Amino acid sequence: MNKDNKITDRKVIETEVTMGTVHSAAIEPYRVRLFVEDEMVRDAEITIGINHRGVERIMEGLPVEKANSLTEKICGICSNSHIWNSCLVAEKAIGIDVPERAQYIRVIMEELERLHSHMLYLAHGNEVLGHETFAMRLFYIRETVMELLRMIGGNRVQYGASIIGGVRPRCELDEMRIQKIREGMDLTEEKITEFAERFVSDPMIMSRITGVGTLTQKMAIRLDASGPTLRSTGVEKDLRTVMEAYDPFEFDVITQDDGDVKSNLLVRVFEIFEAIKIIRQALNNLPDGKITNRSWEMQDAPITKSYIEVPRGTLYHSYALEDGRVRNSIVRTPSVANIGAMQYAAVGHHITDAQLAIVQCDPCFTCTDRAIQIIKI
Amino acid sequence: MSLKSYSRARAVHVMLVYTGGCNGCDIEIVNCIFSPKYDAEQYKVFLTWNPREADVLVVTGPVTKHNEKPLIEIYNAIPEPKAVIAAGACALMGGVYKNIHGDIPSEEIAGPVDNIIPVDAKVPGCAVRPEDILSGVVAALPLLLDAK
Amino acid sequence: MTAVNSLIAVIGTLIVALLVSVWLPGIERKFVQARIQQRVGPPISSAGIMAPIKFFFKETIKPNSPMPRLYNALPIISILSIVFILLFIMPQLYIFAALTSIIAIIGLLKIEEVIYMFMGSLSKSVMSLKMPFPDIVKGAKHPDTPRSFLEELSSLRAFRLIAFGSFPLYIALFVPVAMSKSIYLSGIVAYQQIHGPVLFTLAGMLGAVVFFIGYMILLNEYPFAILKTKADVIEGPLMEYAAKYRAYVYLTRGLLMFVLASLFTTLFLGIPPNLFSWNILVTIGVALIFPILMAVMSAFSPIFTYKQFYPTVAGVSFIGILAIIFSFL
Repeated sequence: MNKDNKITDRKVIETEVTMGTVHSAAIEPYRVRLFVEDEMVRDAEITIGINHRGVERIMEGLPVEKANSLTEKICGICSNSHIWNSCLVAEKAIGIDVPERAQYIRVIMEELERLHSHMLYLAHGNEVLGHETFAMRLFYIRETVMELLRMIGGNRVQYGASIIGGVRPRCELDEMRIQKIREGMDLTEEKITEFAERFVSDPMIMSRITGVGTLTQKMAIRLDASGPTLRSTGVEKDLRTVMEAYDPFEFDVITQDDGDVKSNLLVRVFEIFEAIKIIRQALNNLPDGKITNRSWEMQDAPITKSYIEVPRGTLYHSYALEDGRVRNSIVRTPSVANIGAMQYAAVGHHITDAQLAIVQCDPCFTCTDRAIQIIKI
Repeated sequence: MSLKSYSRARAVHVMLVYTGGCNGCDIEIVNCIFSPKYDAEQYKVFLTWNPREADVLVVTGPVTKHNEKPLIEIYNAIPEPKAVIAAGACALMGGVYKNIHGDIPSEEIAGPVDNIIPVDAKVPGCAVRPEDILSGVVAALPLLLDAK
Repeated sequence: MTAVNSLIAVIGTLIVALLVSVWLPGIERKFVQARIQQRVGPPISSAGIMAPIKFFFKETIKPNSPMPRLYNALPIISILSIVFILLFIMPQLYIFAALTSIIAIIGLLKIEEVIYMFMGSLSKSVMSLKMPFPDIVKGAKHPDTPRSFLEELSSLRAFRLIAFGSFPLYIALFVPVAMSKSIYLSGIVAYQQIHGPVLFTLAGMLGAVVFFIGYMILLNEYPFAILKTKADVIEGPLMEYAAKYRAYVYLTRGLLMFVLASLFTTLFLGIPPNLFSWNILVTIGVALIFPILMAVMSAFSPIFTYKQFYPTVAGVSFIGILAIIFSFL
């Protein structure tokens, strides 16, 4: 079968299997309709929009500090990314200088979030595979990172580290905290290495995930996938190499070749090691100084855009400022395109494998449910 | 203590329903069940995904419009005696989506869980802590023990 | 006198089977799964005894099914067929020669498998197609395909499992038959009184391994749990059972674990379950060892799809055929 054009033949579809809003393999509500012939999937349709809460509408007219803390509540897994990007928009629009120490602390918080998000993805992937023992081991390793986040930010989920002009005063890193972060990183590195070696040497798991849910490089570029989903097909594109905050750090861009579930898992495991490397560099070279810049004046500004790299891909925020209030805000998350790409990756496999293929792009459906305006078909 | 209430206290089946929140509370509840640090099975609380097998329903998230009818159907499918726990700020009072006092309120929320199904125990937090979920389940138990 | 003795032995063995089988799920959960997953785990009585008792005290509801009374009666038929297997392997009943043969045992095991197919096609739960959601709207893909429930998918898988998943168990059941040249259970037991247990020969050891894999497939344990995976069919054919019928479903599982283990001791060790001798302890011992081995194997494996299932069954059946050939040498 030519993997590039998975065209469906209408005569071949026998029946439709729906997995509904509440399902044991879904950690968020979404709707999947699989069109099967004798348990092999011929076409798929994923419906989003169930989580639509109207965040952009609420943001219209809110004072800008309140709007920033509202964007944090868009998603519980990637909350730091949203609030960082939202603060970057305001800082770019007004022209505020962020002190260097605050930039380093923001990068440390983002990399800690990348660690916990990737470990959650690995645990959920193992749960869908049916391997509950590994899922529980990963949740246990993830607890170290959650405790570090609680120590710095005050809460395990939604810690709100960034504010306009720098970082909250509570997130200051003193000697004791730096020592604890170093110990946490050593422990995590040791445990994840042990886990990865066990995982890769298990023939039953490897036969389940190799060759399943393949997304070719051409389709991935055409469908505008981004983040680890794109990097697992062999395209070397990572926005962190052009972001100003990541200039002082040295890290590799991880790619794999096949675009299947095994490549996606391996990309994220290696990115965990890269994140630990970046955090160690940041701790070693942490500059002195203040962490908040309070000497700025509110101005009006036209629509300003900002793109950053989050654990799932490219995140885009934009809004305009008028009289200290937010106007015309737009939030666009990477999962919009990644989930659409998975409709192609799920075709041609058995139903249990199709569910695994949908989960392989690390979908975050709550991030995704904005109003989407289609400009061109 | 009769056999009925003794057996009801020694095996509690919990079902989770996510109704459109930000997913923070959902991951914390999954942490409660799947993480060896907070293991809920040692407290005789088992996880199930079938409403016909459940005793306790844990609901998170402000109920969005598309999730209202599935929630009512699942609640009706659970056999008596049953208890409902609303976990998290969104399930209790709509969270930030109803209460950040913006100029234009959101029209996509069908209200906190109280407007739709009767709630027996309320667990606050944003996101709710795993230790508090377990206390919430234990607090809802006396309602089940001596019910008919 | 001997008729009364036999009656007491039969009823007593049934009671012992019930008493031992309610502890098996709890032991599996606490001592094996929880230790491997490095957590504390529930008390031993919760999963096996307290859960069915609790279900007896819940409200009886009418299941969502086109034939609710037939659907509710199926677990009872399942329990009855397992009880009859236990009856037929007891030595007191060997006078009913034709019924206590391998053919009867295989027939009863077949009933056990076919019941999953019926359960799956009769269950229409709210967690699958009946979830209220506006699917067929303007712009939806393929709006006119027939839609099926998740339980029907499960019933299709049960059909496939009947076709090929039962090979290992049946081939293993024929290894003692080939060695003792008799299909009657009395003949197999008598052969082993003279020549020693079948398990201690090469053919017997291979046959025991194949029997164990067949045991795991019949009980739908990981990795062979494609009938009830959490990943797509949630719970499979058992979705609409509530209250006391769910208690029967729980009890069926423990009872099946015990009865298959005592089938193993009868055929491979030559020790039928006899209440009036100390050999009943061997039966209980094997009934405790098998679930523990099964739980250890299942804690370390994912769920197999057909791509891995077919080669595994083919390989294990080949070992079984080798065992039968060795038993003729």
